[in-house]
Amino acid sequence: MTDHTVATQEEWQKARDALLQDEKELTRRNDELARKRRELPWVKVEKSYTFETERGTKSLAELFDSRSQLLVYHFMFGPPYTAGCTVCSSIADTLAPHVPHLQARDTTLLLASRAPLENLLAYRQRMGWAIDWVSSGGSDFNRDLGLLHTEEELKPFLDGPIPPVVEQMAQASGTDVAGYVAEGPGLSAYALLDGTVYRTYVTTARGLEPAMAYYGLLDRTPLGRQEEGEAEHWLRRHDEY
Amino acid sequence: MLDHAVGTQEEWLAASKDLLAAEKEHSRRGDELARRRRELPWVPIDKEYAFETNEGTKTLADLFGGRSQLLVYHFMFGFGFRVDEQNPGCIGCSFVADHFDGVVPHLNGHGVTLVAESIAPLQQLQVYADRMEWTFPWVSSLGSDFRFDFGAAFTEEQQKNGAVYNFRHEAEVSPQREGMSAFILRDGVVHHTYSTYARGVEQLMGTFGYLDVSPLGRNEEPEHTGAWWHRHDEYETLEATAQ
Repeated sequence: MTDHTVATQEEWQKARDALLQDEKELTRRNDELARKRRELPWVKVEKSYTFETERGTKSLAELFDSRSQLLVYHFMFGPPYTAGCTVCSSIADTLAPHVPHLQARDTTLLLASRAPLENLLAYRQRMGWAIDWVSSGGSDFNRDLGLLHTEEELKPFLDGPIPPVVEQMAQASGTDVAGYVAEGPGLSAYALLDGTVYRTYVTTARGLEPAMAYYGLLDRTPLGRQEEGEAEHWLRRHDEY
Repeated sequence: MLDHAVGTQEEWLAASKDLLAAEKEHSRRGDELARRRRELPWVPIDKEYAFETNEGTKTLADLFGGRSQLLVYHFMFGFGFRVDEQNPGCIGCSFVADHFDGVVPHLNGHGVTLVAESIAPLQQLQVYADRMEWTFPWVSSLGSDFRFDFGAAFTEEQQKNGAVYNFRHEAEVSPQREGMSAFILRDGVVHHTYSTYARGVEQLMGTFGYLDVSPLGRNEEPEHTGAWWHRHDEYETLEATAQ
């Protein structure tokens, strides 16, 4: 027996029509937020950062690859990791298909992590991703964006009860909890104008959900995300299910 | 010349914090809408639908593939939407479908099957999927009322007299439109739970999410007179042609 309300087409339609109004309102609010993001002041990036790439050492300006906009997904893959973070991997699964469409909007999208480039490229090969990945481990890039935490900063968290999901994710990345949470996930956006790089936007945590296309789909399934009260996270790397 | 406001790190941070509060509120509203979607009543389906698939003819219940939840993307292909003989697949739907392969393992791992459906011979769908290098399941609903019943295709009479699309009567409808429908299988009965259309399918795509955090956003106004997107294997050739 189903314990969910079952209804006629007419009853469903009435409920669906009411929901549609609020969905439309949310879509418009999303447009409004996008407008507000574009209105943020731009900040000149005056510090010089270096990145190891498949085509040698590059500056932040060079990462634009002749386009006017740059999006960097900060993938949690620190030097001690033996595999990329599982959640970041699920995000990266959805990234490569964006690349040609974003390039058509004059936008370069790439992944950056602190692990040595060779570790990143070996893992990328395993996962089969067609997207550029650069190592940011040689400069303060992650630290300056608030995406690298010191032991001192992490102490209160590490001294407290560690959530099982964090233990699970650390283990899946081949590192301990301290090594795992030293890295933070994020997305940062830049504009290049007259040779000057400007940082325009940075987001993390649930701000990354728009990049997690499976959540948009799960939010439209009958049972939703089904995550509440689960001690273990359901996500796996796509070759581990 | 830069015509955008440039600020100090402190000014940017203050503005970003205000924006973050609004973004968080937006996330929570999204959660609330997801909860309300789950509360929609379920409607049992007693009509039989047949689909041609790579593994033979299947019913709607068969499409679940052993999982309890099913998402069907209504992909515009052929049937009044042929762009030309070489390009039967809708460009917008191709853009949407570019996002599917990356999410399929995660959805399947979480009890959800995702398939695309089109009113076209299966063989044509396979040819186009090969060209686009897609591997998600794509089935033919040719000869079935399925797509019409779920509001994403319209009969000649409806095209002439108008019909309901996206839950609103439209005086003029094209032969088919985009959409996605969700189903659950309980005790052997398929129930329809949700359908979304038009801008509702934007939420199924990641690319707009990225553009929405880029400095220039979707960059569609004011000169936006048509779709900027192309099939993922056509950007280079089309740009070269334009130059």
